[in-house]
Amino acid sequence: MEPAPQPASPKKPRAAIARWLVARLSGYGLATILLVLLGLLTWLATLEQIDSGLHHTLRKYFDWRAWYVVPEIRGETLPLVLPGGYWVCALLALNLTLGGILRLRKDWRHAGVLLAHLGIIYLLVAGAVAHHFSQRGHLLIAEGATSNAAEDYFEHVVEVAEVKDAMPATIQIIGGKHLTGLEDFDTRTVRLPAMPFDLELARFFPNANLMSIADQVPSSDVRTFDGYYLVAKPLELNAEANTPGCIARILYRDGNRSEPFLLTSTAYQPFSVRFDDRIFTILLRKRLWLLPFAVRLDKFTAEFYPGTMKPSKFVSEITRLENGKPAKAVIQMNEPMRYANLTFFQASYQQLEQGPSARMASVFEVVRNPADKWPQYSLYVVSFGLLVHFLTKLVGFIKEQSRPSHHV
Amino acid sequence: MSDPSSITGRKIAAALVLAGLAAVFFNLVAATRPKGELRIITDYAPWPAATLAVADTLPVQDGGRIKPLATYAGFTMLAIHGARSMPVAGNAGTPGTLTPTAWLLDILFRPQFAIHHPTFRVDNSAVLEAIGVKPRGKRDRYSYADLAPGLEKLVELAAAYDAPAPQQRDALQQQVLDLAYNVRDFESLLGQLAFARSGVALGNAPDQQRLDISTVMDKAPKIRDDIAKAKAKAEGTPQRGPAEYLYREAYQAASLATRGMNIFPPAEAGERTWQNAGARIISVLTGESATPQPAIIDIMALENAARALDAGHPEFLTALTTLRDDLTRRAAARGEGRHLALEAAYNRADWFLNAFVVFFLGALCALAMWLLGSGRPGRILAGVTLGWSLIGLAICIIAIVERCLIMQRAPIGNLYDTIIFIAAAGVLLALLIEALTRRRFALGLAPILGSLLVFLSRRYELGDPKDHMDPLVAVLASNFWLTIHVISITLGYAAGLLCSFLSTLYILMRGLRLDHADGGLRHMLSRAVYGLLCLTLFLSLVGTVLGGIWANDSWGRFWGWDPKENGALLIVIWSLVILHARLGGFLKEWGLHVASAFTACVIVFSWWHVNFLGVGLHNYGFTTGKNVLWAFYLAMLLIIAFAAAAKWLESRRGQGS
Repeated sequence: MEPAPQPASPKKPRAAIARWLVARLSGYGLATILLVLLGLLTWLATLEQIDSGLHHTLRKYFDWRAWYVVPEIRGETLPLVLPGGYWVCALLALNLTLGGILRLRKDWRHAGVLLAHLGIIYLLVAGAVAHHFSQRGHLLIAEGATSNAAEDYFEHVVEVAEVKDAMPATIQIIGGKHLTGLEDFDTRTVRLPAMPFDLELARFFPNANLMSIADQVPSSDVRTFDGYYLVAKPLELNAEANTPGCIARILYRDGNRSEPFLLTSTAYQPFSVRFDDRIFTILLRKRLWLLPFAVRLDKFTAEFYPGTMKPSKFVSEITRLENGKPAKAVIQMNEPMRYANLTFFQASYQQLEQGPSARMASVFEVVRNPADKWPQYSLYVVSFGLLVHFLTKLVGFIKEQSRPSHHV
Repeated sequence: MSDPSSITGRKIAAALVLAGLAAVFFNLVAATRPKGELRIITDYAPWPAATLAVADTLPVQDGGRIKPLATYAGFTMLAIHGARSMPVAGNAGTPGTLTPTAWLLDILFRPQFAIHHPTFRVDNSAVLEAIGVKPRGKRDRYSYADLAPGLEKLVELAAAYDAPAPQQRDALQQQVLDLAYNVRDFESLLGQLAFARSGVALGNAPDQQRLDISTVMDKAPKIRDDIAKAKAKAEGTPQRGPAEYLYREAYQAASLATRGMNIFPPAEAGERTWQNAGARIISVLTGESATPQPAIIDIMALENAARALDAGHPEFLTALTTLRDDLTRRAAARGEGRHLALEAAYNRADWFLNAFVVFFLGALCALAMWLLGSGRPGRILAGVTLGWSLIGLAICIIAIVERCLIMQRAPIGNLYDTIIFIAAAGVLLALLIEALTRRRFALGLAPILGSLLVFLSRRYELGDPKDHMDPLVAVLASNFWLTIHVISITLGYAAGLLCSFLSTLYILMRGLRLDHADGGLRHMLSRAVYGLLCLTLFLSLVGTVLGGIWANDSWGRFWGWDPKENGALLIVIWSLVILHARLGGFLKEWGLHVASAFTACVIVFSWWHVNFLGVGLHNYGFTTGKNVLWAFYLAMLLIIAFAAAAKWLESRRGQGS
């Protein structure tokens, strides 16, 4: 006789639900689905970047703010909605942690898989850390010159500075996030505590041409500013080449407002304003970030294979200047300089003048990435784990095949 | 006794594979075999073998490295002629074959014959119609003399078609441009030694005495002085004096030789660029060279060689040997050209053609082996197949090792390198799998895979006729992680392709009911495929992460979402999908093999297709050959469709019984 059913305690259904949830979240089924999704996203992103550019595609597919993705290939929207790549990876990390670590049998037979899973989680975490916390920019220095500021590749900011003795004394930066969302006709007021005025920003163009009415008369609905106006143009495939612009207006603390004016990243000179015998400049430019030391380019050498324009070597001999102390270093292809949590890579070069003795400038990519070496460490773990696992399998296979054989 | 339906199935399968191999062979032969009739060239006599052997090893600086003339001639001929051999005949009409070096020697020293060689490959007769030359057929080869009536029009059309971007040109315009470039290159070679063959005229009378250009170089200071004096005396009158006439004639003759073969090592140790004859002459004529005597001696050596040919082949051989020895010694003194002899031998050996022949014979034996089954003849053929496969593998390994020695770098640096490496690795892996399984499946696949991949390498070389041993750009040179990354990824391709082909074999075998429903056999194949998938995952994963580490060291980012990187990641992800779906029980035996067969599509996307996308750091700017990719995808999808149909039929039979 079966025992009579007992009334379930309120904790038991919750425990059953939790078990069910953990089982689903840690299962091979979810792992397979997530991997298929990741494969699809990677494949579609590879194809979409041809027409949409890499920067835009990555933001669309793999940014943490992208919850879902509707692929668009060759200008055609596909009837397909996929989850965002960032969240697929996050869920995969959870699935791996639950199924590949916590619920995995802890014995010698599974030691290799366990290690491999740990290594992959480490790799995914490294990706997330780099995604959120890494910073990238470039630094162009001419031979003999010194610089301590790298320029961001993508983010444009509004830089407001008070000028004293022809040098910017106080600088206040309005970050790129204050410009986004102003693509239509919204306005945004940005408080500038260090300045005697605030700034009103409006009508942001992510990529625009600065036009003069002397060259081309605009249509009647286009507003002009001192004979100039902005014409929107499609975003560049190479997002670094975008030249944004916006409309700005100064809001004085006494309630007065200036006439609106244009800010554009292609302007040769900043917009300047005088207030109480003080001079201020306002400029739209790519964000500069200060380095904890200065770099002087002593010599740049570009070598090519004889008789060709195929580069064989780019070498920058630099001096690092920190607290007045100089330190020599060499940066070349595949041999970056790592110092103070920053890495300097030889990216490209420019010839500043014509002729054989022309002065050269070197371009460094400057990266601050807390997860810089993590992928390398994860690789060691994954490789060792997989090697152990597959060798174990291989030995088993060989043992099985050592029995009498048959052929076709 | 064998099931009759099984035997029929075997025959159908073997016939299909044989037809495929025959198509490949025909394609190879048809694509490289010169079209049209054998050219009979009046008074033509072939070069003696000894002369060719010396000429083969003449050092030339090209593409950033020092290489033997044989290599330079081989790729130049391949680009213009579409093959590395050319059949021509002399008065007797006996057919002979010109090697690239013989063809180049004709251009340099016997242009009267070279202009009649069927040098120019034209794949579309509309090109000839466009320039007013009567074509002989849709595809044929033409001599410079054949094209002469249309050259003016060719230049005119090329100038017009060159302006738009390559993507905006139609096929005909591109073919006209290609022919124009080929003619330009040929004319440039014709002009290389024009000065040595005929010297320069002292005046413009028809029977005017001619001077060696080395003599003009020797007298260059006096000539320049005379010109200056004459100009001062003439006070701006436009008339040219004899000195100026001679100077201009010499300069013009030298100009013809300024674009082409750089054969003279510079005297200065710090100077890395070699000079051609034209630059050597001009530097002395203009007074730019502070030490003219070595240049004059160099030019005299070329003149001597050109004149010696009038005396006879033995005299020419002596002059050529003297020149070669001198140049080689000077190169050696600079620490250059150490592998000239090895590279010339590599060219002569034509390893990969031999490997193709050997693998092809092995593939035929493999088909016969599968057809004959388990009897004594089958066992003998298995031994023969193994023998051919091992010989083919040895040839590939020798060739790859020689290439490494010549290039002084790791075996893989470009797409061509990957093909031959995958051929060798694929065959080796197949033989290792055979050693583990001993069911003659992997054994049969080894020579088939080998012949297909070596065939692919030859077709690729034909489509991209440039020296794939040239040095690598700075970012690709000298990085440990890069070397391991590329080798690892490429081995991953090899393992994945083998895995996919084994699964294809499984699908065909089971679908055609050739396996006698032998569960043990199927299980063994599934385990082999599973093992290869693990290997593919391991190699691709390690290779991909290593690529990231290299990119992090070189460019400052671990992952750049470059299409090639993404392709490698796709292989990793697809392998993980199969392994996890298998572990989860979502893929049974059929499913495993269907998914595994699809792996080839993922690998081909990563290996080849991304190169057509036109973006990324691994973009090779390919514009042709995409149809082959679609054909491959279609073939693999047909295999998958066949598997689905076979599975359905099998289920129905199961229900019926």
